[in-house]
Amino acid sequence: MGYVAVEAGEEVIERAEQLFEKRRTEGESDPVSIDQIDEQFGRLVGQVMNEGGLYAPKLAARALKQAQGDTVEASFLLRAYRSTLERWDDSVPVSSDEMFATRRVSPAYKDVPGGQILGATKDYTQRLLDFDLDGGDDPTADWDLEEAEPESLRNVLEILREEGLLAEPSAEDDGEDYDTTREPLVYPAPRSAILQELARGETGAITALGYSTLRGYGSVHPTLGEVRVGSLPVQIEHPYTGDPVEVTSVEVSECESVVPEYEKRDDAQFSFGYGLVFGRNERKVIGMSILDASTQLEGNEPVHDTEFVCQIVDGVDSFGFIEHLKLPHYVTFQSTLDRIRAIRERTADGGDSPATTEVSGDD
Amino acid sequence: MEDPRHRSDRFELIAACEGTALVELAELVLDGETTVEIRQAPKPQLVMQRVRDPVHADVFNLGEALVTGAEVELAGERGFAMVAGRAEASAVAGAIVDAAIEADHPEADRLASALTETRLEREQRRKRQWAESTATAVDFESMEGEL
Repeated sequence: MGYVAVEAGEEVIERAEQLFEKRRTEGESDPVSIDQIDEQFGRLVGQVMNEGGLYAPKLAARALKQAQGDTVEASFLLRAYRSTLERWDDSVPVSSDEMFATRRVSPAYKDVPGGQILGATKDYTQRLLDFDLDGGDDPTADWDLEEAEPESLRNVLEILREEGLLAEPSAEDDGEDYDTTREPLVYPAPRSAILQELARGETGAITALGYSTLRGYGSVHPTLGEVRVGSLPVQIEHPYTGDPVEVTSVEVSECESVVPEYEKRDDAQFSFGYGLVFGRNERKVIGMSILDASTQLEGNEPVHDTEFVCQIVDGVDSFGFIEHLKLPHYVTFQSTLDRIRAIRERTADGGDSPATTEVSGDD
Repeated sequence: MEDPRHRSDRFELIAACEGTALVELAELVLDGETTVEIRQAPKPQLVMQRVRDPVHADVFNLGEALVTGAEVELAGERGFAMVAGRAEASAVAGAIVDAAIEADHPEADRLASALTETRLEREQRRKRQWAESTATAVDFESMEGEL
């Protein structure tokens, strides 16, 4: 069954929109500024940027304000805006060892080269409400710091590679990068497409699916090689000189998870999963690394099914499908009612038991 | 250290500048006698950030970064700049600064030293950030023997 359009008064729709906007502004407090959202809700801004697939902190903050804090709605606004723009070009590929890291912890190696740098985190403190939060003073003001040249941190997985403990990539993994914003995703999908879809995935969906395998619905229970937060350069080729040049940098979170690859019992090695997203979002990047690993490994559970994972994790897709159910479906539902009534009438008349009738899949 | 007289280095120095600072520098060039032709009007565009994963070395598309690029011509020299975000005025100002230094405009030395100064400030901020991060470096100790 196809869709049937309905009409309603345009003026009433505008009023509903105006009422929505009033809800944002009717309180007695001053309107929150775009800069305040950008500076004070960095995690939220990062989430909207990575789910929207667009690194633009000010626009993400604006989208959050417009969406009244609804992250998926804000991501949708970013994607819609992005679709109106031309692409200058692809960047020069960068490696994570070019990252300026401000945080790096390795749950796998205690004495990791470069050290465990906790950075800005509350991971090791109690989760208690702070009723004195608005103090405004810099709690690091009296730190006695010795400034030094920033160092590049060696990747933890290099240690495993040197010992031959990392599985080498298979031939089909050595393909070109695939852009899911320009080409339809078809299965089996190349790993570059899967990583791109996971990087744009909705944080809750990525977390939930990653969690499912930890709870036994899958065979991946990794140890994290490392989790990093920092910034990566965005480089283009200069149009006059052809040199790679840095336009800007993007804040990212990164995670590598190490997974025993059980299929190779004769030559025990590790498999791994990789996660990288815009902004500070460690929960998502850990989940992403789990799903990258699970979709590379065989298994009967949902997390091992690449098509299932990629179809489920996109927030804008799922938001659209779920929320479209609240739009008028009068004709569809009337048709369903007619069928049910007809079945009941035939049954009451003592007719044959009818075959099961399914509601159309495109409803 | 980047050389502001070198085109590629200068691009990075301009891109790292604050928008208001770039506009102030461009105003030094716009002295009423120097003619600037806009070759490419500033417009927001996208750069797809490509990343190589650290183990399989697969390249994938992380997402796009919003940038604004512009190109001008001044005294027979082209200037090009690209800056982060939606920043039309900064992009044009950056292109003017680029062309002015390339054309050896009378203010070129002042522009070049201002760009260098901006880079030094940025490096100082990074050193401060790194120092703050390393102040949280920790040695985790296993506690098996104490259990």
